[in-house]
Parts: sequence; C-alpha cells; structure tokens
Amino acid sequence: MNVIEMKGITKRFNDLIANDNIYFDLGESEIHTLLGENGAGKTTLMNILSGMYQPDEGRIYVKGKKVNISSPEISLNLGIGMLYQHFTLVPTLSVLENILLGTNKKFFLPKKEAKKKFNEIAKQYGLHMDPDVKVWQLSLGEQQKVEIIKLFYQGLDVLILDEPTSVLTPLEIEDFFRMLKSMKESGKSVIFITHKLKEAFRISNKITVLRRGKKVEEVDLENKTEGKGKDKILNQIVEVMFKDVEPIEEAKEIPKRTMGETVLSLEEVTVKNDKGLEALHKVSFSLRRGEILGIAGVDGNGQKELAEVIAGQRKVSSGRISINGTDITNKSVKFINNKGVFYVTDDRMGEGCVGNLTLAENVILRCYKKEPFSNKGIILNLKAIEEYGEELIRSFRVKAPTAKALVKTLSGGNIQKALLAREFSQQPIILICSKPTHGLDVMTAQFILNEIKMQSSRGTSVLLISSDLEEIKELSDRIGVIFKGELLDILSNEKATREEIGRLMLGLKRKGK
Amino acid sequence: MIVKKIIPAIGPIFAILAALITGGIILLVIGLDPIRAYSELFKLGMGTYLGITESLKRMVPLLIISAGLIIVFKAGIWNIGINGQFLIGAILVGWLAPLLINRTPLYLSFLISGLIGFLGGAIWVIIPAMLKAKYEINEIIATMMMDFVAFNFTSYLVKGPLNAYPGRFPQTTIIHLSKRLPHIPFTDIHIGLVVGLLLIIAAHFFVRRTTWGYEFRLLGENKRTALHAGINVQKVIFVGMLISGGLAGLAGANDVLGIKGAFQAEWNPGYCFAAVPLVFLARFNGIAVIPLAYFFSFLMVGGEFMSRAASVPVYFVHVIEALMLLFFSVIEYIQKKEKLFWKS
Repeated sequence: MNVIEMKGITKRFNDLIANDNIYFDLGESEIHTLLGENGAGKTTLMNILSGMYQPDEGRIYVKGKKVNISSPEISLNLGIGMLYQHFTLVPTLSVLENILLGTNKKFFLPKKEAKKKFNEIAKQYGLHMDPDVKVWQLSLGEQQKVEIIKLFYQGLDVLILDEPTSVLTPLEIEDFFRMLKSMKESGKSVIFITHKLKEAFRISNKITVLRRGKKVEEVDLENKTEGKGKDKILNQIVEVMFKDVEPIEEAKEIPKRTMGETVLSLEEVTVKNDKGLEALHKVSFSLRRGEILGIAGVDGNGQKELAEVIAGQRKVSSGRISINGTDITNKSVKFINNKGVFYVTDDRMGEGCVGNLTLAENVILRCYKKEPFSNKGIILNLKAIEEYGEELIRSFRVKAPTAKALVKTLSGGNIQKALLAREFSQQPIILICSKPTHGLDVMTAQFILNEIKMQSSRGTSVLLISSDLEEIKELSDRIGVIFKGELLDILSNEKATREEIGRLMLGLKRKGK
Repeated sequence: MIVKKIIPAIGPIFAILAALITGGIILLVIGLDPIRAYSELFKLGMGTYLGITESLKRMVPLLIISAGLIIVFKAGIWNIGINGQFLIGAILVGWLAPLLINRTPLYLSFLISGLIGFLGGAIWVIIPAMLKAKYEINEIIATMMMDFVAFNFTSYLVKGPLNAYPGRFPQTTIIHLSKRLPHIPFTDIHIGLVVGLLLIIAAHFFVRRTTWGYEFRLLGENKRTALHAGINVQKVIFVGMLISGGLAGLAGANDVLGIKGAFQAEWNPGYCFAAVPLVFLARFNGIAVIPLAYFFSFLMVGGEFMSRAASVPVYFVHVIEALMLLFFSVIEYIQKKEKLFWKS
C-alpha cells in the first residue's frame, strides 16, 4: 500500500505555475527520488506535503485516508517530516536541547529520558554523536545528522530530504547513503530531492522527474520490466530533463598556460574569527600568475576567514600577505581592490549584494567612484550606471527584465552571475571565488565555471575556495586542503585522487604522514 | 509612468483620511461635533491668509530637520536626539546672534548665526556619533539621553549666565523685529522657507544622486555589503550623524532668527516627534516630505485655531498625528502582503 498519494497537485504563484497537475506516490519502505533542475518545482511539491503551502488544486492521501494538510504541525502529526536545505538549529544550544526544542511539551526538559532515546536512535541508524556538544561546534554534515535525529525523535515514518548531499563531502555522502538504506530497512519511507542524477540512481527505488513544474517521467528501478539497461534509462531521463532547453554548456578546456611569477603570497597567516577564536593557523601558500589554486575543505574550516583576510575584510593577527611584492597585510578593502584583488563572496544576499537596490546599482559596487559612473567621484551618472548594468546583463546572460530590476526579485543563479560580472569586469589580477556554483543548476554552474576558466586563460590568478570536490578537480592546477584552520598538503591536481582529498578534508591524514 | 509615481503616495493619503475619520469618531465619543471641528480646522487652517502663512512658517524647522533625518535614516542610523540638538543650536544663536548683529553686516551675521546653529547641533551629536561609529553603542539610547542633558543645560544657561533680563522672564537678548530674517517679497513668510525647501531638495539629491549618498544607502540596506565594498563605515556613520545634528541646530537658528527672536526659558518645541513620523510617512523621500510637512504644520496651526473656535483641545492634533502613523503602519503591512495589488 502507498503511504502517500498526491493526486493532481497544482500550485500557482501569481503567474508562475510551480506545480502543474502532479501525481506522486510513495510506497512503504521505499526511497522515491524527486529529480529536476533548480526551479523545477520539487521543493514546492514537498512544501505542500509538509504543510508549508496549500495546493490550489489536487488531493493528498496518507495511508489511504484523504487529508487536508493546512499547517506543518498537521503534517508532523501524520508522521511526515522535512529536512530543509537551510538548517533550523540554534547554534548556542546543545544537540540534545535542539532536539527537544519544539518537541517537548513539559516545563522541565526530560533530559535523562531524551538522552536514552537519542542514543537508541543514534545506534540504530549509525548516527554517532555526542548529545551534549554545542551545535556551533559541529560541521554542516554533523548538523544535518542532528536534524535527521530530530525527525526520528518525533517518531516520523516519512522523511523528506531536500538536497541533503549538497553540504557533504564524498566520504560523508557514503555514510549518508548507508544511513538511508538502514532507514529503508527499518520500514521508513524517504522522499529524496536532488538535482544530481548519479545520486538518484544509486539510492532510489523510484525516480520521478519534474521539469518546469510538470511531471515528465517516472521510472521504477526495481521492476525494469521493459528490459532496459541502466544506461538506457539514464539516457532517457537526461533527455526528458534537458530536451528543448538551451543546449547544455560544454565544459571548456583551459588552454595551456605558462605559469608566471608569484603574484600572491601568504606567510604564516593567523586570523581570528568573529567569536575571537583562531580560525586560521599559520597558513602559507603562494599563487602564480594564471594559476588556479583550489582550496578544498568542509564548510566552516576557515575558508570564509581565508577569503576575507586576503580581500581586506578581516584583520590578520600575525603573518604577512603580499601581492606582487607589495605588503597588503591589514590594508583596506579599497587599497586591495586597487591592487587588482577581487572577492566573489559565497554569501550572495547576505554580503554580496543589496536586495532593495537595483541590479545596476549593485554592479557598480566596485567602481562607483570612477568615471563614467560618477562625475569626479561625487555626482552619480545614472545613465552610465544603467547602461553598464544592461551591458553586464548581456555579456553574462543574467536573466533580468532590465538593469532597473531590484536584485531581490532575481533567482540565486542570476544573482551569482551578476556578482561574477561585477568582479570580473574590474580586470582582476587575483580573483577569490568562494563556492561559486553552490546551489545553482547544472547549466548555470557550468557557465560560471567556464567564465572562471576564461579569466584564468587571460592571466588572472584564481583562488577557488569550495567544498565541492568536482569543481575543484575540474578547475584547479593545484589543490590545497583546509582543515580546522590549517592548510594541509597542497597537491598537484593530476596526482591527487578524490579519495585522498576527501580523506584530507575530514582531517584523516595529516601532513608528513 | 505617472500612475507608477503616484502609487507610493496612496499609503500616506489613505492613512491621513483614516486618521481623520477615526479622530472624528473620537470627537463624537467625547461629545464634540466632528463636522464643526473639522470644518473649522480646514477653514481656518487652509482657508485664511493667516492660516496659510502660519502653516508655511511652521513647516520650516520640519523641512530643515527632515533633510538631516532623510540622510541618516537612509543609512540606517537612528538619530532620535533632534530636540536636544535643536536646543543647543538655538541657545548658541540666541546668545551670539544679538552680539553679531550689532557688529557685522546683517546678512553676514545671519550666515554666521546659521553656521553657529549648525555647529551647535553637530557638537551635541559628537559623543553619540563616536560611540556608535567606534564601539557600535546604540545611537537611539545615546542621542535620546543627550536630549535630557540638553534640555536641562539650556534651561540652566537661559535662567543663569545667558539671561539678558534678570528679575524678569528669563530669555536671551531679544532681537529687534527689523533685524530678524527678512521676508520673502510680497509675503509675511521669512526666507527660512526658501532655505528649508532648498535643503530638503538637496538632501533628496544627495541621497539618490551622489556617491556619498550611495554609500549611505548601501550601509542602510546591508552593513556587510558596505564592508564588502570597502566603504569606511565608521566615517559614514560619523558624518551622517553630524549632518543630521547640525541641521537640527540650524533649525534652532531658524526659529530664533525668524520667529521667536530669542531663546526663552522652558522652550522645547519637540520637533522630533513630528519630524520622525513625517519622514517615515514620506518613505524617506525628500520631495514627498514637502507636502507632508505642510500638512503637519497645518494640523498644528489649524489645531490651535480649532481649539479656540470649536473648543477642541489643542492636543487633539497629536491624536490625529498618532493615528496617521498607526494607519500608515497597517497600510505598509497590507501592501507587503498584497504586493500584486499595489505593485505591477
């Protein structure tokens, strides 16, 4: 029997049809994957199931009974829980306190019982974790485990996981899949949302493919009765996912470059984070002209501080940073910009741009005091600013109605393109890119990676900071791994295997061993 | 095109109407005739030469103060200590202007007096500005606390060392009518109105069309983006607060030189409580401030007339102001919810 049946679900947002007459079933002990590009309507469909949105049309049955899920609470009571892409944990509370948050109805926290139950769940699914550690001390992967334990703690049967692997390292992904399997074996049903085909194939019983709000394919991997091989099904899915869309951008080859002289060098740089704790410990490396140096690492190991300290947004506690021999240690952002260093932040809305200003106003962030954008650095030239915005929209294929559109109305991918356009157009000598493709669909991601390659082939040096091993491998000449604020080995890309880097990212192999 | 420009004005207009209607109900409840009260309010406030002239005069300090507020508020800095900065500017001018007027050409002494008023207001905001810029200490509390100091300090000065008429009602030397700010030709309104209008338009232009204004807006929208752009945030905060404090002080100079002729004891017009709501109603738009400032001063002037003609308490206009703001918040909320209806 099906645990969940969604029939004819339609959801509109103003003019946009996010879900168009979608049928979706989930069986018991089944992993059913929702596959699709960003904006295909996967998350919307699941938000309807978890009570965040109300469908405009359609019916939902849970265990054969028709239900009206008008709030997240009702969804939870029906045994359905969702793991969001953005975590909802309170950093200053312990793991156990976070789990009790929202689930506990008593005045005093039943910590003893809770701990017992916690340990049972952790044991059953192999989620080893100390319940008393504070959440801010955990990596993103570990935080995700806490979220999952929280769902189990509430006694749920159906788990919706929204892009759960995007924050995990390759080794953590293996662990995660093992956990999914044990969940399935213990009778839980899982809806797995992803845009990664490979993952969908490895783990699912069924795959439903969405495209532009419509269901375009459903594949049952258990009963391949049509006698098709795996490859054939794969091709079929790729076709329905991408048919008639703009041709997928080919991954460009980086032309052979001769590495020039050293342009950026860090000598034993130590930096504190916002909490005043050491975030980087004696980091040293150098970057040569035209080189792409990848910095791999699990999020929160000092990457943000590394990027900020080079860009001048953070003070150095000790050590020295120089560009082309000029000391830039603790110099201002503008001074460093003038030396040709530009930083594409990964926090697009929080730091990179201002949602309430127009696209044009956002792209002049680095050059508003220069001609022709302002007259002698005083009076803004609105016409020149708007033209410049339009020009960047064209050259970077930003999907925006005009340069006067407010940035908050654009999608994440287009905001990212605008940010890249802004920094790239400053003719950088050194470019710091932090997680440039995070959360973007395949096509946008490839476009952005190609742009970075183009920059490099023009002689720009790139520091590529990312937790995505694939993009690090694709772009980098050399790869450094950062772990707990220390830069472990820097390996040449040809020699380094994914496994080796993955192990370093988890701190399993230390320098010199 | 024109419709698009008018749509943001619907909110404030609706708020004003709703406030007047609710105010009418309140009048009914306390046993007064709302129709009579309002007809007196509008007839005397907008329909007589005296009413219009007085309203236009009364809007000058509001315009000057709002010019400063638009700039700091756009940067997300909340200078709430306008009253104190106003008083310091006013007392300095009340003390020094009579001395200047007898020694320097009249127009030069006006200019210097204006500068003194500006400096007075700016000096009064230096401490909160430094605390905010350097140590991120909340400027709302700091500027407000400075208000109390300013009120008592000026009160001490005017009753003690600066009292020009010991034994009588304490005030600074009264500037002779012929030595006050000249009138705009063919009117009974002093030239402060021209200054006020120029300043509010300049502030509007400053925020939207200059690189400094761009930095202020970036900071106001997102401090982290401002830091990312390499903007000297401390400098922006400091300069912004000084400008707004200085303009409050200049408004003080205007009132002394153009209206009162002296700094009198116990004088505290409390423009902050009118200017802050005003600037919010105008959505920090300098051009929109002008009609609203007129409306606010009309309410004040008309309210005084009305209280005499229809025996409605003077404080009733404050009720209307407060209601306007409440309704405006409600409308903001509805507009956010019903984006489709209002936008597009």
